[in-house]
Amino acid sequence: MNNQVNDEALRQEVRSWLSANWGAEIADVLKKEAYSWEASDTRKAWLNKVVDARWAVTRWPEEWYGRGLSDDQAKIVEREFALVGAPGAGQDRINLWANTLLTAGSEGLKQKLIPRLLRNDVNMCLLYSEPGAGSDLAGIRTRADLDGDHYVVNGQKVWTSGAAVADYGMLIARTNWDVPKHQGISFFFLPMKQAGIEVRPLRQITNESHFNEVFITDAIVPAENLLSVPGSGWKVLNTALAYERSSMGEGARGARSGVTLATKEEPLIALAREAGKLDEPSLRQEIAQAIAYKRLNALNTARAKADLEQGTSSSIMSLGKLAMSRILHEEGRLRTEILGAESLLEGKQYPRAEDANFLSLNAYFTSIGGGTDQIQRNIIGERVLGLPKEPEVDKNIPFRDVRTS
Amino acid sequence: MNTLSTEERSALRDSVHRLLTDESTESAVRATMETESGYAVDLWKQLGAMGVIGLVIDESHGGSGAGPMELEVVMEEAGAALLCSPLLASGVLAARLLIALGDAETMGRLLPGIASGSTIATTVLTGDTGCWTEAGVAITASCEGDKWHLDGRGSYVLHGQNADVLLVVANTDDGLMAFEVDPQVKGVLVEALPTLDRTLRLAAITFNGAVAKPIKTALPVWGAAQQSIELALVGLAGEQAGGARKVLEFTVEYAKTRIQFGRQIGSFQAIKHMAADLLLETESAISAARHAAMSLAEQSEKKNEAVSLAAFACADAFVKTAADGIQMHGGIAFTWEHPAHLYLKRARANAYLFGSSVYFKEKYLQALSMGGETTGAGE
Repeated sequence: MNNQVNDEALRQEVRSWLSANWGAEIADVLKKEAYSWEASDTRKAWLNKVVDARWAVTRWPEEWYGRGLSDDQAKIVEREFALVGAPGAGQDRINLWANTLLTAGSEGLKQKLIPRLLRNDVNMCLLYSEPGAGSDLAGIRTRADLDGDHYVVNGQKVWTSGAAVADYGMLIARTNWDVPKHQGISFFFLPMKQAGIEVRPLRQITNESHFNEVFITDAIVPAENLLSVPGSGWKVLNTALAYERSSMGEGARGARSGVTLATKEEPLIALAREAGKLDEPSLRQEIAQAIAYKRLNALNTARAKADLEQGTSSSIMSLGKLAMSRILHEEGRLRTEILGAESLLEGKQYPRAEDANFLSLNAYFTSIGGGTDQIQRNIIGERVLGLPKEPEVDKNIPFRDVRTS
Repeated sequence: MNTLSTEERSALRDSVHRLLTDESTESAVRATMETESGYAVDLWKQLGAMGVIGLVIDESHGGSGAGPMELEVVMEEAGAALLCSPLLASGVLAARLLIALGDAETMGRLLPGIASGSTIATTVLTGDTGCWTEAGVAITASCEGDKWHLDGRGSYVLHGQNADVLLVVANTDDGLMAFEVDPQVKGVLVEALPTLDRTLRLAAITFNGAVAKPIKTALPVWGAAQQSIELALVGLAGEQAGGARKVLEFTVEYAKTRIQFGRQIGSFQAIKHMAADLLLETESAISAARHAAMSLAEQSEKKNEAVSLAAFACADAFVKTAADGIQMHGGIAFTWEHPAHLYLKRARANAYLFGSSVYFKEKYLQALSMGGETTGAGE
């Protein structure tokens, strides 16, 4: 068969489907929607159409709403969707929940949830970290004990976004305490709307609440909701984390006030100018360095992308998160330095102080969240530079004998 | 300025890498750095034959007809191998100054020899202040009839003691002019300067009524000098990035083999985290150097920004990597026998050759403030 014709025919098919179904009215509604953990009715209605027309997961087999397309052809579809700004395609790359479930879920659970996940008709959250298992995620102590056709779950999870509205949480829990820590973990889809689940918002140092604590007391999860087999949760988790990383862009946020300066000048230069401090030589040095960190990171990213396009994998990608931590902390620090006493103030009348203080505090979102800078340095040292790991004293002993704080 | 294809550039890198792996070994560098001239004639000839010295010189003048991106690649290899040579002085600073000035007769006479390596040229652009700016010009020129004479003391002249031709920028009653001077003529005194970095050669050159030949140009002379300096900065940035990468490479290798407390020292986070931080510095330096080279090759309107950024980012990265590299090795790298100090000294010298990191940060901020919008690659 001639691939060329195939590609063109496919492109035409997507185009005509989009021109028949996608329009300015839906685009307008979706654009105005604030980002939320719950999908709006308009969004759901649109995704329904996309799923029914088999554009959502074109790489997947037909029995799972796909078309069994090659990666190159799938990209043609995604590109056409992107050109008109329509969401919903390429979920076989970016829908963390559906991908994880398709990879390791039981037949019953897949039948039940995959269509709903693709239509954004079910809300999800992540139940990974615990107060006692942050950097050392494999040290979780939330337990799931088999009792007939279901497991009983007890424990506490933290840093859970969207827990209050979630229908299911992707949960890692310990099912075997007599084997080393990585081997006794299992992965579940835990129903969240039940009596044994209590969700409490966490107030952050920025005075925002994006995360929750989840207290789990005798919650029930059907055995059918176990992914893969008992004890293989760490492997499933790593599959899920890979999908999460590939679907997440850089999560860093900019200034909070929303006040943008009139010029397109570098914000730090503009702020220093506005504050009458652009003439201070020592400050000029620091501003130049801070802007340089940002620019160098952009240049690194561009070089990594170019390497990837030429087929050589790049070690630079792993440096981005560490670089971004420094950029954000430095920008927060310098904004504060430029403002001086004004940074003592807060509130809407003091947007410059709000921005400086928010950036300074929220920089920890990047330097701690998703793996601390210190863990990131371990990863770079070990996986990129090939340095040996530290001896792990808890690696080969039954988890019940592992020391805890 | 011209640019080769990616494949040609990569072939160029490979052949320079092979040559320097064979000829610029640590023991060769140590031997060369103790000689008076500070460069190995055989290796210099091979660089000439390979087209490396004449990289940025047109083919019509015996060069390779390449540009800043190729220079940057070659200099990464030169930095990694601690190459001892007048490449920056002759093939970059002097060649580029002649090309920028654009006098056909002088170019036709001098460039072929520079390209082959048979002529070593260098530039006298600054004096004892070491400021590579218009205000730093230390020589004055005066004429009687149509005879020009130079007076004053130029300094920090790269490979001045090895030069067959001096290109001098001097103040005259009518502003700056460029001159060609034979260092053998009466009234020229060349003094080798002792340098911390023994792989470097610097000289102070005193002119005392020395006869000089004016080089005609349609351009403002300092504009031509700036083109020469900015190309040298790009080359230097490549050298620094390549040097930094090399230091990190052998330091990480050592951390994998050195055992203390029954473990490879690289397994300690105290060492591992330093290495991770240095990788960020090193990769950033490589990105900055290559970006500056590309901006110059494309004559981007943001080239000043890119060159200044590379100048301080690469200088700081090389100094930090070389310095931390010694610390990570421990006592062994405090010995003369270990190569680490050669890199630290090269890094320190490179960082102040054409201006300090502080100076280039200021220039960078000025370029940004004037440039207004500052979206760059990947943003």
